[in-house]
Amino acid sequence: MKKISLAAALLLFSCTFLFPQQEVYLTLKEGVPAIALALPNFFVHGPSPRAKEAAEIILQVISDDLIYSRIFQLLPKKYYEYIRPLDPKNISYKEWESIQASILLAGEISEGEGENIVFEGKVYDVKGQRFIFGKRYQATKSVYRLAAHRMADEMVKVLSGEKPIFSTKIVFVSDRDGNDELYMMDYDGQNQTRLTFNKTRDYMPAWSADGKKIAFTSYKKLGEAGLYLLDLEAGKITPVATRGTNFSPSFSPDAKKLAFCSTTDGNAEIYVANADGKNIKRLTFNEATDTSPSWSPTSREIAFVSDRSGTPQIYLMDAEGSNVRRVSFGGTYHDAPAWSPTGDRIVYVSRVENIFDLYILNLRTNQITKLTESNARNESPSWSSDGRHIVFTSNLGGSIQLYTIDYDASKLRRLTSQGTNKLPDWSH
Amino acid sequence: MTKKIIIVFCICALAFMFLVSCKPKVKPTPPPPPPVKEQPKVEKVEEAPAVTKPTLSEEEIFMSKSLEEINLQSPLKMINFDYDHYEIRDDAKPTLQSDATWLKRFPSVKVLIEGHCDERGTEEYNLALGEKRAKSTMDYLASLGISSDRIKIISYGKSQPLDNGKTEAAWQRNRRAQFLIIEK
Repeated sequence: MKKISLAAALLLFSCTFLFPQQEVYLTLKEGVPAIALALPNFFVHGPSPRAKEAAEIILQVISDDLIYSRIFQLLPKKYYEYIRPLDPKNISYKEWESIQASILLAGEISEGEGENIVFEGKVYDVKGQRFIFGKRYQATKSVYRLAAHRMADEMVKVLSGEKPIFSTKIVFVSDRDGNDELYMMDYDGQNQTRLTFNKTRDYMPAWSADGKKIAFTSYKKLGEAGLYLLDLEAGKITPVATRGTNFSPSFSPDAKKLAFCSTTDGNAEIYVANADGKNIKRLTFNEATDTSPSWSPTSREIAFVSDRSGTPQIYLMDAEGSNVRRVSFGGTYHDAPAWSPTGDRIVYVSRVENIFDLYILNLRTNQITKLTESNARNESPSWSSDGRHIVFTSNLGGSIQLYTIDYDASKLRRLTSQGTNKLPDWSH
Repeated sequence: MTKKIIIVFCICALAFMFLVSCKPKVKPTPPPPPPVKEQPKVEKVEEAPAVTKPTLSEEEIFMSKSLEEINLQSPLKMINFDYDHYEIRDDAKPTLQSDATWLKRFPSVKVLIEGHCDERGTEEYNLALGEKRAKSTMDYLASLGISSDRIKIISYGKSQPLDNGKTEAAWQRNRRAQFLIIEK
């Protein structure tokens, strides 16, 4: 056991330390073997159709999650035919090792009280022949997926030390019910739920650091584009700033501040308030347009857009508004910077002749990588909290929809299809 | 003597012949005018109105309408902008001049100017650009004597296109500043 946790800790160590040096980016790209995971069919107790159905759903979700993480590589299903089926009471490490598994997730499902099922997941170190950890969840059908996401979260947390993303949410704007309202969904596009009912136009949502609040722009009051805070648990909406046009909210990762753009003083400037929306202070004082603030993971710096040079370009400044420096060059239209949670990268939009593409600027090497390559408008990028994935808006399939893509331009996938969907923000 | 008479006669005859040959040969006599018939003048008989309806001035008609009715008639005309620009174009100035004349005639009116953009700008930067279009419209009206106390401005960015087409004509329609009367 100690050995394993040491190994896990080592893994954790190497990941967190390699990330800032951008080594993980390279190693991942060059295919350092991901953890070889055996994820055989779950053991279902008794002849219960309910448990059997739950087993299939949960296994599928965990499998999709772990593949998406890129930390694990799942063994091909046909390998499991070479050995005896999973017996949770008696784990035969040798057999699992013979099909090249390093980690085994052994799942068991049984009927629970009422409509519940009980799902138990145990994780084994095959080579070390040890049990690592286990989790037990009780769930009704509506939350089978959530139970699966929780188990996958635990596996990433324990085995890689990274911040898991499978229970994170994406908030966005959709007109599927007639006018632009806020919606949210799971990270994988499931469970799309409507959040606001203002019957006018809600716009540009952003998650608070704890995921309990959403800041957004609303045109619900005639003549105002106000910035509001939606408290999800209380179902309460409170105004932050309503004079002029107020937009582009961004909460600091330390949960203390809320930066946003406002024209309340006549020109688009960046302001910062406490996370509850009180105590608003102006950060930029420039005749040009200053917009799109995005916090660094340390909450000590802010990336933003300014056209003070004549065209919109990306700048960084200290959280107090000082020490402004330009970081984007070579191009005439850059916008919507999003600072990666790993701190070393900024994804942004660049417009070239009516085409918008996403680019990643590496702040350490000043190297720029093109992320999207389509004859379309790709915009409004937002990072997943592990810094591996980006959700964005694109009209590449004709209508405006949400997609995710990995930081190395792989795994493009579409999340929405109903109505037009835009302005996504990924929870932390 | 008789000789003299003959000469005179001859001269007269010649003179007569000359005159006759110069004049139009036959002058038709105009037909006599038809006899004028005497006709009695028709007098329209009307009942005198019991109450005389007061005539409303244009201002009074305006005040009697709801804001919705007024906005439906859009008495203030929108203006368009160049791509990525917010300066008032020369072709927009006469429009704003007549908008200003209208605003002067109804001095109690307050308006909201909405700035809009086409889809070829990013969401965030377009909000700032739309605001600038609304502001330069407000400033131009101010230069024509319309107090900015009567004007509120707002930006919709590219979220409210008039035309979903993908042509320059559609984009041009969407790059606009338009008016909404919010108080009268």
